[in-house]
Amino acid sequence: MMAHLRANLWLLVMTLLICSVAYPAALLGIGQTVFRDSANGSLIAGPDGKPIGSRLIAQPFTGDEYFQPRPSYVSYNAAATGGSNWGASNYLLRDRVARQLGPIVKYKDGRPVAQDIEAWFQKDQFQGQPGIVAQWAQAHSGLAAAWVKADPLHADYVASWIKQNPSASESKLEELAVPFFISYSKAHPGTFPVAVEQKAEKLVQSIKKGIEIQSIFFDMWRQDHPQADLQAVPADMVMASGCGLDPHITLDSALYQLDRVATSRAAQSGRPAAEVRTEIEALLREKAAAPLGGLAGVKLVNVLEVNLALAPRDGAARSSAE
Amino acid sequence: MWQIWLLPVLVVGITIALSVPLGIYMASVLDERWRAPALRRWFERRVDTGPQDWKQYAVALLLWNVLTFIVGFLILQFQAFLPLNPDGKGLLSPTTVFNTLCSFLSNTNLQHYSGEVHLTYFSQLFLICWKQFHSPAIGLAALVAIVRGLRGDAHLGNFYVDLWRATFYIILPAALVVGVLLLAGGMPMTLEGNAQVTTLETGALGTDDAGQAKPQEIARGPVAAIVAIKQLGTNGGGYFGPNSTHPYENPNGWTNLLEAVCIILFPMAAVVMFGRMLNNFRHAAVIFGVMLLFMVALLGWGVYWDTLQPNPGLAAQPERRFEVADSTAPGGKIALTLPAVAALPVDQSLGNLEGKELRFGTSAGPTWAALTTCTSNGSVNCMHDSLNPLAGLTPLVGMWLNCNFGGVGVGLINFLIYLVIAVFLAGLMVGRTPEYLGKKVEAREMKLAMLAFLIHPLMVLAPTGLFTATDWGAKSTNNPAAHGFAEVLYEFSSASANNGSGFEGLADTYGFNDNPSPAPFAPHWDIACGLVMIFSRFVPIIAPLAIAGSLAAKNRVPFTTGTLRTDTLTFGFVLFGTIVLLGALTFLPAAVGGPLAAPQGPPPLGGE
Repeated sequence: MMAHLRANLWLLVMTLLICSVAYPAALLGIGQTVFRDSANGSLIAGPDGKPIGSRLIAQPFTGDEYFQPRPSYVSYNAAATGGSNWGASNYLLRDRVARQLGPIVKYKDGRPVAQDIEAWFQKDQFQGQPGIVAQWAQAHSGLAAAWVKADPLHADYVASWIKQNPSASESKLEELAVPFFISYSKAHPGTFPVAVEQKAEKLVQSIKKGIEIQSIFFDMWRQDHPQADLQAVPADMVMASGCGLDPHITLDSALYQLDRVATSRAAQSGRPAAEVRTEIEALLREKAAAPLGGLAGVKLVNVLEVNLALAPRDGAARSSAE
Repeated sequence: MWQIWLLPVLVVGITIALSVPLGIYMASVLDERWRAPALRRWFERRVDTGPQDWKQYAVALLLWNVLTFIVGFLILQFQAFLPLNPDGKGLLSPTTVFNTLCSFLSNTNLQHYSGEVHLTYFSQLFLICWKQFHSPAIGLAALVAIVRGLRGDAHLGNFYVDLWRATFYIILPAALVVGVLLLAGGMPMTLEGNAQVTTLETGALGTDDAGQAKPQEIARGPVAAIVAIKQLGTNGGGYFGPNSTHPYENPNGWTNLLEAVCIILFPMAAVVMFGRMLNNFRHAAVIFGVMLLFMVALLGWGVYWDTLQPNPGLAAQPERRFEVADSTAPGGKIALTLPAVAALPVDQSLGNLEGKELRFGTSAGPTWAALTTCTSNGSVNCMHDSLNPLAGLTPLVGMWLNCNFGGVGVGLINFLIYLVIAVFLAGLMVGRTPEYLGKKVEAREMKLAMLAFLIHPLMVLAPTGLFTATDWGAKSTNNPAAHGFAEVLYEFSSASANNGSGFEGLADTYGFNDNPSPAPFAPHWDIACGLVMIFSRFVPIIAPLAIAGSLAAKNRVPFTTGTLRTDTLTFGFVLFGTIVLLGALTFLPAAVGGPLAAPQGPPPLGGE
C-alpha cells in the first residue's frame, strides 16, 4: 500500500510540475520572445499607440464608408463568444437572414427591392388574404412574442390594448402577442407598431415604411413574389460564424459592398466616385488571399485590415482637397 | 471544387504517414525491451510498484483517478482564491464543478461552462491542461496492458510506469512540438488579462452611460499550451467556449490543418503500435483498414451534405403533402399540405456557412466534424448544431460507433470488443470454438465483451429517453421538434462516447455559483452527463482488462488450417459487418427520430 501511495504522490507532483508549470512556461517563454506580437493576441496599434483591435478578431462596422464583417450572434463580444446554433429547421435562422436581406436586396437589373416591399405591405394582402401583420403573427408566434419583449414600450402598448379588451385575460403578455396582432392588424391595416424616438420622447407609432417593414416582412413578400428575379447575396454576408468573431469576409462579399463604400467615401472626400471605386477595388484584390496558400477555399479579405488601409487614403485625399 | 476534397485528403494522408514511425516509437517506449539510461531508470523506480495482474492494474488505475479527482476538485472549487486570476473570476456552482471534473477525468472534456468566461488561468493550466495530459496517457496505459494480456505475457506490466512513460516520453514531446508550431501560426500565449481595444469606427459597439464609446474587450490567455494538448490527447476541452472556431484557438488555414492532423495522430499511431507489439502488422493493417473505411465514409457523407448542399432552411422547397395518423379524424388520418417555399436570394455556392469560419477552407467544418467524432476528441471548428440536418449524422454515427481510431488507447480497446464479438460470430458460423490470437474465446470473455459493448447504448439511450420524456430535456433545446430531440441525443452520445463535442444550442450551463439566471435544468444535465461519462469511461476499460487477464492465463491453441485467420480481407469484411450490424443498428431508431426526421417529416417531427 505504501508503494502505491508513494507512486501516486510522485506522479502527482511530477505531472503537475511538468505539465502545468514547465510545459506552459516553456511555450510562454518561446511565445513572448520569438512570437511576441501574435502571442499577445495580434493587436494592432492605432495612431496614439493604443490598440484599436486585433487582426484575428472581428469588430463591428456600421457606417456605409466601411466594409462590414459577417453577422455576429454575440454582437462582436470578444469576451463571451459563440454561434447561433440554429439548425436549418429553425425558423429563427431563416428570419434573421431574411431581415438582413430585405433592406439590401436588388433585382437582377439593379433596382432595390425595398420600396416594392413597402408598397406591397401597405396594400395589406398576403396570398390573397387581407391582414399581413395578423398572418405574420399567426405563422410565427415566437417572433410576435419576441416583439413584445424587445422594448418596454411594446409591452406597455400591449398592456393598454388588454385594458380595452378585457376578454383577453391571460397572465403573460407574450402569450397575448398573437391575438394582439390580429386585433391590431384589423384596426390599423397596412401598418406595423414600432417604438420610435421622436423629439427626445419615445413612443409606439404605426409605421408604413422604413427598415423595419423592409426587414421583418421581406420573407412574406418573397413568398408572394416567388418569380421575382433577385440578385443573390454572398452567403457569408448573412450567415453568422461559429464564434461570432470571424475576421474575414469573402472577396465576393467585399465586392458586393464595394459600391456602397465607394459612394460614401467619394461623397466624404469630394472626389469622383468611379476613381475611388477603382482604387478601393485594387486594394481589395491586392489584399485578398485564399486559405492554405490557395489550396483550400476561396479568396478572403480581412475586414479590419482593409478598413484600416482605407483610412489614411481618405485622410490624404481630404488634406489635398483643402 | 478540387479544393473541397484536397483538404480532407491532405489531413488523412499526412496523418497516416506520420502515424507509422510514431506508432513504432510508442511501442518501443511503452514495451521497453532495451536498457534505458540510468537517470530514466531512477525516475521510473520511484513509481514502479512491481508487476501487476489485471486486478492490480485496474485498482492502480482507479486509485490514480480518485486521487486526481480530489486534487482537481480542490483546484476548481477554490479557483476564486487561487493565483493567476487577472480578470477576477468567481466561484463556480457545485454541479458545474462536478460535471467538469467527471468530464476531464474521463477524457471526455464535455464543457458545461465557457472557458474564457468561467475559468481562471490557474484552473486552465492546473486542471484543464494537467488532466488533458494524463487522461489520454491512462487510455494508452490500459491499451498496452490489454495487448500484453492478449499476447500472453506473464503479467500486464505496471500501471504507474506505463502512465509515466506515456505522459512524459510520448505525449509531452509531441505537445511541445505542436505548441511551438501553433505559436508560429499566430496563436496567443500570455498571462496578461483581457485586452481592451478602442474600435476603428468610434462607438461601433455603442456608448456607455457616460456617453463614452465602449471598447471591445478581447479575452486571451495561455491558449497555445492548452490547444496543443487538447488536440493531441483526443481531449477537445477548448480554451474558449466555441473551441477551435475561435480565431485565437485556430488563427488560420495552416493551424487548422495542423490541429486536424493532431486529432487523429495518436489514435492512428496506436494501431501501428498494436501491430508492432504483437509483431503482427498484417492483423493491424486489417484493423487500420476497417477503421479508415468508416472514417472516410463518414467524412465523405458530411462534406457531401454540408459543403456541397445549401442550407435547406434558406433554399426553395417544393410543395409537400403528408398523411398523419390521427384517431379522431375520419379514416384515422389527416392530410397535411406544406406550401411551396421560395428561396431567399442567397448565393450558397460555398455550402452551409452558418456556424462556419471562412479562414480554414471550404470543407474544413464537416471534415473536422468527422475526425473529431470518429476519435473521441470532441473539439470543433464549426458549430455542429448548425450543420445541415443530414450532415449532422456524421458526428452522431462517429460517436455511436466510437471505435474508428477512437480515443487515445481506448478507441482501439473499443474496437477489440467488436473484434472479439466478430471472432465469436464467425466461430459460430463455421461451427468451431472461436479463437483470437491463439486463445479460446469462451463464455466468460463473451460476457465481459457484451458488458463493455452494451454500456454505451445503455448510457446513450436510457438518459435520452428520460430527458426527452420530461421537461429536463424538452425545455432545454434551442431548436424545434426533431432537431431538438437530436440535441438531447447528441449530448448523451457525446458524454457516453467520452467525446465532448455538442449540439451546443442545448441549455446546460450553470456557470458561476451566483449566476442569477442559469439554464433552468443545468444541474440535471450536469449530474446526468457526469455519471454517464464516468460509467462509460471505466466499464469499457476494466472489462477488457479482465478479458485480457483471462485470455493471458489460457494455453495457446496450435495454429492449424482450421484456425480463423484474423489478418485477411475476409476477416476485414466480417469486422465491418459486425460493426455495422451491432453498432449502427443499435442506434437506428434514435437516428430516425432525430437527424433523419429533421429534414423530411411533417410537423411535429419535421418542420418548424
